[in-house]
Amino acid sequence: MPIVEKSLVEVDRKEHLEVEGIDVSGDWNTFLRSRVQTDLDVRVVDWVKGQPQGETISRCWQCGTCTAGCCMHTDYGLTDFNPRYFIYLAQVGYEEELRRYASTIWRCVSCNKCVERCPKGVKVEEVVHTIGTYLTLTGAAAESPADRFDRAYTENLLARGVLDEAALFRTYERLEGRKTPAKKLLSMGLSLLRTGRLHTGPLAHRTRGWRRMRTVLEAQLAEDERRRKGALAPATPAAGGNR
Amino acid sequence: MSSATPRGPIETTPAYYPGCSLDGLGKAYEISCQQVLDRLGLSLDRIVDYNCCGATEVKNLSEDVSVALPARNLALARTMGRQQVVAACNGCVYSLTRANDAVADPATRERINATLERGGAPAYDGAASVQHVLEFVYRRAGPERVRAAVRRPLEGLTIAPYYGCLYTRPKRYTGVGKTPGTDDPEHPHFLDELLAACGARVLTDFSAKTICCGGGHALSDLDVSVAFSASILNEAKRAGADLVATICPLGQINIENHLDRIRAEYGDEVVRPVAYFTQLMSLAFGASLREARLADNFSRPDLFLRSRGFS
Repeated sequence: MPIVEKSLVEVDRKEHLEVEGIDVSGDWNTFLRSRVQTDLDVRVVDWVKGQPQGETISRCWQCGTCTAGCCMHTDYGLTDFNPRYFIYLAQVGYEEELRRYASTIWRCVSCNKCVERCPKGVKVEEVVHTIGTYLTLTGAAAESPADRFDRAYTENLLARGVLDEAALFRTYERLEGRKTPAKKLLSMGLSLLRTGRLHTGPLAHRTRGWRRMRTVLEAQLAEDERRRKGALAPATPAAGGNR
Repeated sequence: MSSATPRGPIETTPAYYPGCSLDGLGKAYEISCQQVLDRLGLSLDRIVDYNCCGATEVKNLSEDVSVALPARNLALARTMGRQQVVAACNGCVYSLTRANDAVADPATRERINATLERGGAPAYDGAASVQHVLEFVYRRAGPERVRAAVRRPLEGLTIAPYYGCLYTRPKRYTGVGKTPGTDDPEHPHFLDELLAACGARVLTDFSAKTICCGGGHALSDLDVSVAFSASILNEAKRAGADLVATICPLGQINIENHLDRIRAEYGDEVVRPVAYFTQLMSLAFGASLREARLADNFSRPDLFLRSRGFS
């Protein structure tokens, strides 16, 4: 494992040194302070494994293929976004370190390259989302923009069976306190109207006979949310050494 | 494809799942798909009273709802007697194939069917195979028949084929790369071959073929979705493309929706018109710019194509 806590590396002095004409200046007294980790707690991985989309976490053998190809990590350059490391932290139960990524982990764009490439069949994208959900449910992470979008999307879809794209856009802008300039909205609206694509509000598509399905699926949604929260165990320090 | 289309024989006519996009912002995609299929003598039978698939969003709230939504559509296709379902949106292909993967487990299937039954939908037996409309056209017609159908070759046009992320990914859901006759998950080529058959110069080595457009966070993470959309256009520019062809309404709309910001941040010169592959094929098959609905797209490929002598 790489050294993740640079604070543990003690640099005694930075020396300027020349030996027989060769410059060997550098950190000549670097060592790791020994310590015993006592704050590991397997409740994270237990919870993740218990979720339908988190089961495959136990197959991960930390090769890092997911991260090497990850578009957030590699293309966008957000090096803090490291699915391999998120999985590692969850596996060993290092919650304190995991919480440092609370505002990063939601940014997965679900491109599924990691799932495609994983040699062990880990559903990385789903596992990472599950770890993110854990952080949100335990209060370690604030509700993210993506969480708000997922919810707005799902509510919009379940209302009529077919998504009302324009209404979703308006709802979400309101949730984020954002306002697209009226000029842009107007030009987009006119373009949609001109091409017969403005299916929103009363003109929105709907699935016939959807009402019954809506009731059932909304109940399922509420039940799953309860179950997810219910499965959260109180923190119990894992057996291990003393500090 | 539309409900007015005469139904083909059940054995050879797959069910068609439009999803929200093809009935909404991606209308030009549906209309041009229909034109392409008509010209090639292919038909699809629309699933009436479909519901939205849930894309990649719903699963983050509930596994069962995210499986039940697409499963209901697959069940409707089965009650129409269909073995095959065709969808035109990568997001739909992803969630429909993901549902198939989930219900392969008997316990899950039983649970999902109980949910469907309570909601008044037929049970799903798990036996509908799902393919993208690009795969359907490629397999049923192929480059040869496409070439024979061309009336107005796309000569002089250099096209960057953009497949997007979820067309073939992940193979554990889409089955791509495992079964014969499927596209390659990392280096897809079906679109390249079809557009080349239409007479265009296709950038087969286009390096942004399968990168993510950021559409999953099109609204919730603007910086990322603008950056990814811009990198697709930028790569198209670098490779010398005149146009970008898409196979996914999410990708198409995401790129086009960000054009203002891309112009502001990356300059006018990276912007290329973006069009659904079926619009370009339909044009090659003799449709006018107007008939292929090329003015629908916010990036206005019609204006560019007119300047190249298309009408």
